Amino acid sequence: MAMAASIASVWEGRLGIDAAVLELRRGDPDALSTLMARYQHRIYRYLLRLVRQPADAEDLFQQTWIRVAEKIRSFDTSRNFDAWLFALARNLALDHLRRRRPSSLEESLRGDSREDTMVSRLPSADPGPFEQLLARERAGRLAVALENLPLSYREVLTLRFEEEMKIEEIAQVLATPVATVKSRLYRSLAQLRQILEAGAGGEVRA
Amino acid sequence: MSRLDKHAEIREQLALFVAGALTADAESRVALHLATCADCSAELEGWQLITGGLRRLPTPQPPAALFERTRVLAMAQLAEHREQRRNRIVLMLLILFSWAVTLAGWPIFRFAAGGLFSLLDVNFRRTWLLFVVFSVGTWLAGGSAAVLLSLGRRHERRLA
Repeated sequence: MAMAASIASVWEGRLGIDAAVLELRRGDPDALSTLMARYQHRIYRYLLRLVRQPADAEDLFQQTWIRVAEKIRSFDTSRNFDAWLFALARNLALDHLRRRRPSSLEESLRGDSREDTMVSRLPSADPGPFEQLLARERAGRLAVALENLPLSYREVLTLRFEEEMKIEEIAQVLATPVATVKSRLYRSLAQLRQILEAGAGGEVRA
Repeated sequence: MSRLDKHAEIREQLALFVAGALTADAESRVALHLATCADCSAELEGWQLITGGLRRLPTPQPPAALFERTRVLAMAQLAEHREQRRNRIVLMLLILFSWAVTLAGWPIFRFAAGGLFSLLDVNFRRTWLLFVVFSVGTWLAGGSAAVLLSLGRRHERRLA
């Protein structure tokens, strides 16, 4: 029995499947802690980009991990775990937005500044006080511009540039064809640039 | 293709070029053009500023207590699922065992009590039918009691 399990582990290891994911599928609680520690910042950031309110992101963060504990046995090990996890979080966030305000999924550009939410939570690791101030200002402006994009644009940008996901992985998370991801990526970058240029008097400053 | 058209075509692709979303062919075409075109290179810098900025956006920190709170909840969920799975397996095994004992026990008992011919007796066949009806009735009553008990336990868990 133990030998069969170890052969299975070696085989799954060769397929590149995360050991913690396999352990969690077998019901190991320590594996859940390991995965949570590894993904907590990424999942929280992704949820915050989607729903924009820290309190909502915290609720969804909890729901996501409870859902992981519930559904992990149905996770197909031939799939990418990151894509599965982010898709799970995304579905919960979309359900939440639908329940809260059905029209929020069809968001258009918003003019209101929301610096009290995300921007105020942005830490900075720049060295000098002046550089720190400049970097914070730039990052803040970009974060606000990002927040003002429609949901479908925000998520594709955060998955590509913050989560560093491949286009194919993003397509898995969003359950859309690769071509759609590319066109959405193009439109979101174009719109982000437009907002930044409008804010900076025609000059791009990220 | 005129030089102007070529510029327009390349510029259309610059955003996807910095996003790493072009095919290998298209990427090398753009790279080749950029090596000789100062205008498109300047345009590229604009896109690079944006994508570089996005990559460097600081990661919002979740509140310190959130991790532990979530971990406790998720662990409880995991334990509950594990328990449910184990209970299902135990229940199925018990049912199989009980049916096997019930079905095999009666003829064995008759055989032991009355010999081989008692199994062919007309009265035995009638008794056998009654026995089946009685067993099914008992099993249904037992099953209903088990369902009611599990519903009650779930309700208690929810209240807790």
